[in-house]
Formats: sequence, C-alpha cells, structure tokens
Amino acid sequence: MADFEITIDGQQVPVTKGQTVLEAAQAVGIEIPHFCWHRHLVPVGACRICLVEIEKFPKLQPACATVAGEGMVVHTDSPQVIKARQGVLEFLLANHPLDCPTCDQGGECELQDVAFKYGLDYSRHQEPKHRFLVGPESTFDDLRIGPEIIRSQNRCIHCYRCVRLVNEAFMEDDLGAYQRGCHTEIKPPPGGEIRNLYSGNLVQNCPVGALTSSDWRYQVRVWLTKQAQVICPHCPDGCNLKLWTYHNRILRATAAGNDFVNDGFICDVGRYGYQFATSPDRIKQPMIRKAGELVEATWTEALEYIKSQTNTLKSKLSGSGFFGLVGESSTNEEIYAFGRLLRRVIGTNNIDHRLGRKRKLSLGRQVVERGIGSDTIEYADIEKADVILVIGSDLHAENPITALRVKKAIRQHGARLILANPRPTPLGIRAAQVEVIYKPATEVMFLLGLIAALISEAGKKPEAIDLEASPIEEFRSKHESSGQAAAICGVAAATLEKIAATLSNAENIVILTGREVEQHPYRDSIYLAIGNLQSLCRSACFAPMPTDSNSRGASLFGAEPDLLPGGVSVDDKAGYEDTWKGPISEMVGKDTIGILDAIAEDEIECGFIFNTDPIRVFPDGNQVKSILEGLKLLVVIDSFMNDTARIADVILPLSSSLETEGTVVNWEGRLQYSQAAIAPLFESKPGCEIIELLADHLGVKFNQPTPTDVYREMIQFLNGEMPAQTQAIGREGVLIKSTEKKAVPDLADIKYTPYSEDNQYPFVLLVGNADHHRGTLSEKNDSLMKFTSEPFVGINAAEADKLIVANGDLVRVESRYGKVVGKVTILKGFADGQVLVPDNFIELCPNLLMGRQEKVDLVKLTKM
Amino acid sequence: MQTKILTEFVTDPQQHRIETAVSRGAYQAWEKVVREIAPDDLIELVKKSGIRGRGGAGFPAGVKWGFVPRQSPKPKYLCCNADESEPGTCKDRVLLENDPHRVIEGMAICSFAIESHQAFVYIRGEFVLAARRMQAAIDEAYQRGYLGKNIFGSGYDLDMVVHRGGGAYICGEETALLNSLEGDRGVTRIRPPFPAVEGLYGCPTVVNNVETLSALPSIVNRGADWWAQLGTEKSTGTKLFSLSGHVKRPGNYEVEMGYSLKNLIYEKGGGILDDKKLKVVIPGGSSTPMLTPDKIDTPLDFESVVTAGSMLGSGAVIVIHEETCIVWVTELLAHFYAHESCGKCTPCREGTQWMYEILRRIEHGRGTMEDIDTLLDLADNIEGNTICPLGDAAAVPVISSIKQFRDEYIYHIEHKKCLVKSDFRLR
Amino acid sequence: MILSPQAREKIVAAAKQYPQVKSAILPALHVANEEHGYVSDQMYREIADLLDLKCVDVAAAASFYTYFPKAPRGRYYIQVCRNISCALLGARHLSTYLQEKLGLKELGETTPDNLFTVVEVECLGSCTTAPMMQINDDYYENLTKEKVDQIIADLKSRAPGR
Ligand SMILES: Cc1cc2nc3c(=O)[nH]c(=O)nc-3n(C[C@H](O)[C@H](O)[C@H](O)COP(=O)(O)O)c2cc1C
Ligand code: SF4
Ligand code: SF4
Ligand code: FES
Repeated sequence: MADFEITIDGQQVPVTKGQTVLEAAQAVGIEIPHFCWHRHLVPVGACRICLVEIEKFPKLQPACATVAGEGMVVHTDSPQVIKARQGVLEFLLANHPLDCPTCDQGGECELQDVAFKYGLDYSRHQEPKHRFLVGPESTFDDLRIGPEIIRSQNRCIHCYRCVRLVNEAFMEDDLGAYQRGCHTEIKPPPGGEIRNLYSGNLVQNCPVGALTSSDWRYQVRVWLTKQAQVICPHCPDGCNLKLWTYHNRILRATAAGNDFVNDGFICDVGRYGYQFATSPDRIKQPMIRKAGELVEATWTEALEYIKSQTNTLKSKLSGSGFFGLVGESSTNEEIYAFGRLLRRVIGTNNIDHRLGRKRKLSLGRQVVERGIGSDTIEYADIEKADVILVIGSDLHAENPITALRVKKAIRQHGARLILANPRPTPLGIRAAQVEVIYKPATEVMFLLGLIAALISEAGKKPEAIDLEASPIEEFRSKHESSGQAAAICGVAAATLEKIAATLSNAENIVILTGREVEQHPYRDSIYLAIGNLQSLCRSACFAPMPTDSNSRGASLFGAEPDLLPGGVSVDDKAGYEDTWKGPISEMVGKDTIGILDAIAEDEIECGFIFNTDPIRVFPDGNQVKSILEGLKLLVVIDSFMNDTARIADVILPLSSSLETEGTVVNWEGRLQYSQAAIAPLFESKPGCEIIELLADHLGVKFNQPTPTDVYREMIQFLNGEMPAQTQAIGREGVLIKSTEKKAVPDLADIKYTPYSEDNQYPFVLLVGNADHHRGTLSEKNDSLMKFTSEPFVGINAAEADKLIVANGDLVRVESRYGKVVGKVTILKGFADGQVLVPDNFIELCPNLLMGRQEKVDLVKLTKM
Repeated sequence: MQTKILTEFVTDPQQHRIETAVSRGAYQAWEKVVREIAPDDLIELVKKSGIRGRGGAGFPAGVKWGFVPRQSPKPKYLCCNADESEPGTCKDRVLLENDPHRVIEGMAICSFAIESHQAFVYIRGEFVLAARRMQAAIDEAYQRGYLGKNIFGSGYDLDMVVHRGGGAYICGEETALLNSLEGDRGVTRIRPPFPAVEGLYGCPTVVNNVETLSALPSIVNRGADWWAQLGTEKSTGTKLFSLSGHVKRPGNYEVEMGYSLKNLIYEKGGGILDDKKLKVVIPGGSSTPMLTPDKIDTPLDFESVVTAGSMLGSGAVIVIHEETCIVWVTELLAHFYAHESCGKCTPCREGTQWMYEILRRIEHGRGTMEDIDTLLDLADNIEGNTICPLGDAAAVPVISSIKQFRDEYIYHIEHKKCLVKSDFRLR
Repeated sequence: MILSPQAREKIVAAAKQYPQVKSAILPALHVANEEHGYVSDQMYREIADLLDLKCVDVAAAASFYTYFPKAPRGRYYIQVCRNISCALLGARHLSTYLQEKLGLKELGETTPDNLFTVVEVECLGSCTTAPMMQINDDYYENLTKEKVDQIIADLKSRAPGR
C-alpha cells in the first residue's frame, strides 16, 4: 500500500514509507543506474552513479540512499544529472583496463551496460593507467584469493558490494578493503583466502569482472550459452539455480532470483556442485553380472534379463519377496512412479526412502496425533521471527540458505539466535546470541530444563503465558527443577534461565531441529518436549529439517510402506487402484529395517534400489552389504558406480538430476519445478523413462515415460489446487501444507534414558559435514574438493595430547561394528570424549562404525 | 581590548599542569555548570553566545547540540575533534599541548549540556606530545574529582578517553572520525543520519572542534553576552588564526572575528618575507579558495570572507609571495587530496588522482592547452557530487587557481616551465 | 608471540576504555608500533586474537592509516613535512639535504647503520613553525641547515654503540 506519492520525471510514483527514491523508481520501471546499491545491503551511497536532482535540495542526491519524502520532485535526466553521471562514468573508466574483449564479464557487465547507455564515446584520460600488480615482478594482476575465486583488481570499480556482503549478509570475516583512496584494494586477510560457504555469491554480485570464478573463466562468451532453472539437489533448502550450458555441457551455476526461497543467494555447494554430472564415477551404460563379473550390456539385454529373472522369482515368491528403496534426492515423479511400479506391478508394499536413520523410522503415535512438527513454516517466517531456537543442527552446513535467512533476521531487526548442539558449530561463532553445548544425547534433558525454567519464568509474569494450558503440577512432580536437568545435560542453570527469559519475552519464535535430532534414537521424546515448549511460549512454530533434498517429497509421494501418494494409508487404496488400473498389494509393507531383516531371514529375495547407496548411508554398512549380497536378484538404478551397485546383478544407468526435469519439495513443503539443464549423458535415461520401461517389461504399461506425464497423474492425489502443467508452476512453487494441528502438550510422555558408557569405547561419535560438503554427492565435484579434499577425524587438543597425535597424524577409529582410518584434525571448543567424522567422503564412511540398535555410537581411537 | 582569551596562558610552560591551570581559574566554569546550570539552559547560553564551529564549517555549536535527542534510550557521546590535519592549520595543537585543562573543561561542559557520560578526544596520531599532555591532564582531573564518578557531589558521571588517530586527514571529517573511533577504516558515512542522531556506535553524538570547545569555559564564566559582543554580529568572539608561509612572523594569533586580513599579515605577521610582493592568500586552510591582493582588506569573519570569494574554514592563513609558481602550489595541494581521499566515492577517489596527474604533467612541462579546461571540468564533476566535503575541497584550489591565474597556466604549458620558479631553500 | 606481555597488557587495558572492543584497534596498533617501530601481519593476528576480533578488521584498518609502517625502519624515523606551508619555506630542499647528508639515494631508504630512515609526509600540523620534521615522537621546527646538522649529530652521538 502506498503511503504517499512523489514525482519522478513528471510521473506520479507511489511510495511506501521508508522506501528510497531508487526503490520507488524501480517499482514503476523508471531506471536509475546504480552500482554500489544492493538490495540486501545497507545503502552506502558510494559510487555516485545514481545521483538525481531533487527540487529544493542544494546538491544532487544519491537516489539509492535518499529516503523518498512526501511531495519530492525528482529528475533523473536533467542536464545536471546527465553531466554528473557522465562524469562518474568517466572517472570509473579512467583507470579501468577496458580489457573487455578478454573479460569473462563481457555481455553481463553492469559497467558495460551503464556505459553503453549513459556514457560518452571518448575519454579525456591520458595518464598511464593505475595498475595493481600482484607481486613486485608481475605485469599481471590476476590473483587467486580463494580456492575458486580470482581477483583482477584493476577492473574493480570499488562498489564494495563484495566486502559488504561478506560482512553484513554472510557475517563472515574473510574479505576486506585495504589501503585507501585510489589504492584501495579488495583482499582476504593476511595469509588467508576467501573460503566462506557463500563465496561464489561474491563473484555473481560483482558488477564487473573483478571477481571471477575459475570454473567459468575463459570458457565461453555468455551470450552463446543456454540457461536452465534447476532446483539444487544438495540439500532440502531447495535453492533455485540457473545452470549455464553450452553444447550440452554445464559451465556454471548461479543463484536464480527467488525471494520466496533463496533470496538471490546460493551456497558454494550448490554453485559448484553441478560437476558431478560428468564425474568419472558415472555409470555410462547398462550392466549385467555374468559369471560373477559386471559386464556392459544393451538396454534391451538388461531389461530382458530383469524380466526373465523377476518372472522366475515371482512364480516362486509372492509380492512380499520383493522390495524397493528409493533415494531422497529423486524427483517426486520418479518416487511416485517407482512406488507405483512396486505396489501395482511387482505387488509389494516393501518400499522405503529412510536410509540414514537407525532404530525407529516412523514417528510415534503421540507425536503424529499431537501434530508436533507439522507447523507450516516458510522462509518468510524465519525472516520475521524475533527468536530462533536451533536444536541439534549444524544449520550452517546442513541448511546454508536457511542459515542465511536467520542472519537476515538478525541483521534486519536484531532477531536473537539460540543455538543448542552437542558440539560448537560455525553459526555459533558468527551469529548466535547464545550458544549452548549440551552433552551428547541429552537433548531431552536440555529441553526439560528449559521447560522448567520457562514455567518459573511464567510464574513471574502470569500474563505472558497461559499457565492453565500446561499440566504444570504434573510436570513439577516428575522433574523437580531446571537445576537437575542442567546437571544432566551439562548446560548451566543460569543459561537455561536466560534462554527461558528470552523465549518468554518473544512474540514470534521459530524452532528448528536438524540432523542430530532427526537421527536420534529418542527423536520422538525430543519432539514431544519441543511440543510442550511451544505450548509455553506465546507463539512458537517448529519445523524439523529433513535430511535430504527431497525427503519431504519422498514421504509425500508414496515411498513409505504404509502411505500411498498424498499421505493416504494403504488401507484406503481403492481410488488408487482405479487410477492405476489394477490391484494394489494387500500386504503390510516393511520399512528399511524390516526389509533388511527379512532379507537376512531369506523372506525377501529380490530388490530394486533406485538412486541410493544403502551400504554407504545406512548404519553398519558392512552388515548391510552382507545382507544385500544374499539377494537372488538386485537391480540398481543409479547414476554413479557405488558400493551397492558393485554387488548388483543388473545396473541401469540413470540420468543425473541435472539431466531430467521434475518436481521436488523442500523443507518448507514447497513443491518446485526443476528443468533439465542438459540432455541425458552417455546411455543413461531419466528415471521416469526407466521405470516405465521396467513396468512395461514386467507386464503393465502406463504410457507415462516423461515426468510431465507422471506429474499429471500424480497431482490428483494431493489436497488443494495444483497447476495442471509442471511448466505452470511459478516462482512461488506450491506450498504443500501439512494438516495443521495445534501442538497439544503432555509432559507425561517425555522420556529420557541415559546411554550406558563403555570403557572400551570411550568416544562418542558425532557425524557432520566437512566444509563445502554435503551428503555423498559433493565429493564428485572438483571445485568443492578444492575446499576440503579428504575426510578427517576431529578431536580436541586435550584428546589429541592424550593420544600423542598432531594434526594430520593417522588414527584408527574403531567400534564393535567396524573400523576406519583417517587423519586427525584438532578442533577448537570441542568437548572431551567426542570425535567428529564427516560423512561426505568415500574413503571414510562413518556409517561403518554405527550399530543399527545403538542409542549412541561409541568408538575408540588408536594412533597408527 | 583584550583578545587573548583561549590562548591567554599558552605561553606559560607550566600551564598544562593542573595546579597552574586551577590557580588561573580552570574548572570554575565546570563547577558552576554542574552545580548551577541545567543542561537545557546551558544549550540556550551557548546558542545565545552565537559561537560557531571552529573546525571549518562554522555551524552554530548550540544549535548542533540542540539536535541531540533529549530523551534517548541509548547513551550519548561527545567527540572532540583534534585531528587537525588541514594544511596550514596548527591552532588546536597549541591548546592541546599548552592548555589541556581548558580543552578538558570545554569538553566537560559540552558533555553536561548533551547529557553524555563519555567523551572522547580524537587526536591525530602524529601529535604525540599533545596526546601525552591531554592524557596527563585527564588523569589529574580525575584525581581532583573533576572527572569520574559523582562530580562535585552532583551525581553526574563523566569519563574521558584520549583516542589517537593513525595518520589520515579524512578522519577529521566527523563521520570518518566516528568510523575510525569505532575501529573501522576511517571512511566516511552518508548523512543523514547525522551524528547528533546516530553517531558513535549508532548513538547520538556531538562532534566539535578543539577550539570551539575551548571557548566554552570563558563563555560560561563571563556570559553569553560578553562573547556575543566580541567579533561581528554573526561571527562572534575571537578566533585563532594560524598564519604561515611567506610572512616574517608566522604564528598562531587570536584576534576578534572581523579583524582584517591585512592587519593579520602586516601587523601581527610583520609583513611579507624578504619584503617581497604578496601574490595570493589562502585564508582558511588548503580547502578554501585563494584570495588575490585586492582582497587584502577583507575582515576575517565567516560572512566577509565568503563575500570576498573564499571561506574562513579553519582559520589557516597561508601567505604566498610573488616568487611562487601557482601551478606548483596547486599540484602540491592536489597531491595532498589524492593522498588523503578515503576512496569511498568515485568522483573523489578517481578525480583527485587524475587532477594531480594532469597538474604534475603541466608542472613538468608536459601539459597541453586542453588540460586546463579538462581540469576545470573534472573539478566541476567532483564538486558537489561526493559524499563528504573532501571532494569539494580538492576541487577548490584547482578551480580558484585556474580562474585567477589562467595566464600562468598557459605560460607554463607554452614554455614548458614556470613563469616564476619556486626554489625555496633552507636558510 | 611478537608482542610482549607488557604490550598485551596495555592493549587489554585500552580496550576496557571503550563501549566496544573494536575501538581498541587503533590503540593496539599504536602499542605495537611503539614497541617494534612497525606493525606486521603477525602482529595484526596477535591483536585480533587478543581482543577476540576479526583479523581482517585489524589488518584492513591498519592499512588505511599511514602511521604504521609494515616493515622495520631505521632507529630514527624522519618524516619531513612536504605540504604547502613547509614547502613555501624549503621543505623539498630539507628532504634532499637530509638525503645527501645521510647518503640516501631515495626517500624511504634506511641508512646502512639502520639509524635513519627519511620519508616525506603530508602536513604535520606545524605550519607556523615551518619548515619542520618529525623524528619518532618529536617535532623539530623552524629548521635551518645548522639546526639539521646539529640534530643529526646529536642523534648519532646518542645512538647506542657510539
Ligand atoms: C576532509 C575534512 C577534514 C576535516 N578535518 C577537521 C579537523 O581536522 N578538525 C576539525 O575540528 N574539523 C575537521 N573537519 C570538520 C568536521 O567534519 C566537523 O565539521 C567539525 O569537527 C565540527 O566541529 P565544529 O562544529 O566545532 O567546527 C573536517 C572536515 C572535512 C570534510
Ligand atoms: S571486486 Fe567487484 S564487488 Fe568488490 S568492490 Fe570491486 S567491483 Fe565491487
Ligand atoms: S569525497 Fe573523498 S574523502 Fe570524502 S567520502 Fe568521497 S572519497 Fe572519501
Ligand atoms: S548506487 Fe547510489 S551511490 Fe552507488
């Protein structure tokens, strides 16, 4: 809603209070050139290209930094403005190298564009151009200032966007402006590099070619490329990428502007993580195991082989002898079609996507019925929150763009971030107001302590919280005070009280949990505790972050044994049988754990594994491997050769996510459409086509070989309106809301059971992401390997001293289930008795150390 | 009439010590303020005295203080600007080194008026003696209870900190000073917001020059009317002028506002060095336009100097005699501005360097006729288009020297040498 | 650790004077410079660690100012004011005179005995006593040839090992 109007170039322009002249002009399509202005940054009015004339002002004013005032009369093209603008351009170009013919920015350079439109075609500058040289002997100014970033200082126009982004938006510390005047230089700190997780955004937001990234340099002129809009496959944040291709090769990824989601930024994992498409690990063509060896085959041979083998087994087994596992980074269409293949064609409900977890996969009844964790939270809610409580999540590494939104809330209105983790995480140092480190596996006690503190806080201010709603007396009788809880979780009672005070004063709380909670044996108790915490706060929403890029899509589109697409129970399968034109199995399906047990018991003999590697990701990989080896027929459909594929009987080459279109659902529940950036590489085929071929060979033709076909059928099972065509899904995507239930507290159900320590295995194993890595896909990208190239075994200095090891020394990490060897890295602020292993590298998979039934994974370390 | 007010005791080598200063009445005004005057009345008093800022811009001090919000949840700060780096200017140093208690007393009075409890004095890094003297004097003032907690039993607390700069002229500009004081690079900030509303650490802040603040004890002691009747109607009181360059007796002279330029140079300064002819005077520091001898009768007050075509600035009167090449002078000044530009805004960062390079070319006999107009146009493209007045200041000598000495530029370009060679030797 | 315990103490004490620690960057640079005559990258890091600040902030701020040389210089650091008031009274000649006298080919050079470094700087705020120079902390004003000769002789005789 406009508050008042101003006049720009004779046009009446509506203004909302607080808007700058530039913003008001932009909103109605009046162009005012700008360089230093950036919509995410506080205006600095430095470049002066946006000078405009405002009547009654003695001097020209920077439009970017001048707040529009009622009745202002602005001229953007008066002779005075034009002269000043040309003057600024002449100054900017005076020492600019004008090496446009060999500059990567050519064609997308803001300096070129503005000069083209507003500049003069001559320069009066005759002096030798000022040169920044990299070293005393150099004649050359390219300086590598980060693993992927090259700086050409001579091209820099000193808009300071890069430095301000690092400071303000990313809250990082690896770039600064040095010297002064015309000698001002953009550099990392002495001896350092730009290595922050958002570093590629600096390249993208540099208006000129002063910052370029090595993947893109000197590859192609930008106007020769094609672009595709793709949803990043690396994490559940669901960032919108633009992939730039040339002759079916992807040459770079940039952030596509989508304010609903990534707000114009992406993390480096998304930016450089397109290179997996051409990784040497790609499976190039179908393979069949013959005489114990996997040998290359044609599609026809492979499909026929599967058909005959399956038919043989089918005559012997019922549907319950089959299973399917599907990876959580697959598209909704692939997941839907895969589920339909298993349930309708093969006749089994043994299907699952939950591979990273042990013990309990499905949420308990109390959690589901109370609706805990089913609040619909969007990025915009995080932005608006005044307190953000993050529990058990290295948010920076797990959800980098969500972390950036948290920072935005902090920057824009001083939101307070409270971080609670068993180990220090990067966000703690950079942005947290309170960082709490609790003892491993004591989340429940931490939360109970907080609840106790909140109750006594509420006692002080009865008006703040509806005490009636909480069964406080019952709670008091069970858990006496925050002091007790504090002692168990290792967080000072005073800290708990401080957090409680913050929470009880907040209007808008967002609670996020991450991997540490998601993978926790007592996840349900943690959720229940959070549900109670919510009920004690004025307004608190809770979103558990899913683990993978399309985990939410997987549970929504039928990849859990008991749920059909749309989250409908298998018991209500009638409608689906109509659409699928045939019967769906009656059997009660098994989840991942049940499937593995059944294989071990020889109840299941044949499986289809689509786009996942259980041996690498499921706990106790050695055991998983020996179980899967017992299968009569294992069909693996994947893009990469991996441990599971290596023991397969048939392998079908799957096109990577960048080669197929489809929809995915991010953590918010936002369904977004992703284009195919390039045509399928090698002999691979997109998932939907492969599944259609399989269905056809196994006896049912759906005639839906493309994602578009599948999408059209699939959406009928969703509540609410869906665009009929994938192409019609807009920027906003479609927010699939969970059926919202108000979280009902019941403190009685919260259980805390301590784990038993083991002298033989004195360390608690924690798993996380290495810098610039996420999941198992990131190591297939050369650019990302420049940031961290190998796994490590992280311990604190005291433990390192005890083991007599230093950074880089080899240690053996051993549990009851397996052992791995890795190099020691000493971590600051880490507690005694903890060891951190990233799960991004094939050389050292922490899942080998995990037991499926263990509450906490205990290991020992030995110096090698 | 007595015109030595601020500098009355600066020639006494003992004046910097608190016993001496107090024996001459230091801190009497301070005591009176704390005991008897309410902050609002104090601001009124200063407004009534008409005292205008001595740092260059001449903004009325009382009015500036009035912009500070009375009711503020945030703390408020005073920064005394002792960065004195404008070429030609060295008046603040005299006060800092020789009568630090006057500066402290002035700072205290201002702090009280704006209800600030912490004051900083930002002293340019090179002024080591001044910083030591100020620190020692502050320590003494704490010991005697003039600073610190519960001053004169009134419940009013005031802390004072000496902050040393690091060698950057731009840090005298108030917003750059604030950045520098916060530990950032000393680059400027755009205004609004003005420091009085959002200054140091985002809190309301007053920045005043050393001389401005040093006048306050006398104004409090002797009354606003007394000060207002000194000087001219709109430029009240006395002013320190740093007289330098080609004069027989250079020095800092405190005279009433409105004192004539001629008298300053010929009476106080004893006339032009070696009895040469006057060529040009820069009346208010290097950032002010040059005045030719026909303006010699100009009274030195804010208005009259503007009427004469220049500005009073910081009151640094630089006298230049006939055997001086104007291109050389301008090149010197251009080098200064290029060296001191903070580099934040384009016209100043690029323009100052470019102008300097052209001037250097002309001075070294490699100029072209087009250069003259290019210089004027570049200066025009800088002036008024930058964030802070440093850009304007850099344009000033270029424009004023070309306007008044175009012939000399032409001669320089045609003959590839100076019309008059400036070969100044050590004596 | 390059900074001495005393220096570190001074820096920590300075930081306490300010509402925000970051303000202590300039005081810290002065302490380091007083102790060593220059401030290096390593010292930036030490200051940052000591005050729990970002190294980039210390280094970027330090580079903005001219007062903190990055490398060691002579025992006596002679800064000759080159600006207008001094220039009008022979500043250029003063610095060439010093260079000749000390046998230095260029500005910024240090004598082989590591005693003297001569540089030219912008206005030092001593315009009414021009020409002038600053040697370490002290101002030397109203200079003449004789005065310069005397000053250099004094400093040489004061230097250790004479
Ligand atoms: C480039 C530049 C340098 C300045 N240097 C100084 C200075 O050294 N001392 C000073 O008091 N004011 C200086 N000023 C003026 C200050 O910005 C500010 O106006 C002044 O300190 C206010 O004090 P006053 O009102 O008491 O004069 C400078 C301004 C500019 C633009
Ligand atoms: S490197 Fe690019 S983004 Fe950074 S200041 Fe220079 S032009 Fe701006
Ligand atoms: S005018 Fe010069 S000194 Fe002032 S802000 Fe611009 S670049 Fe910095
Ligand atoms: S965009 Fe306004 S000054 Fe740069």
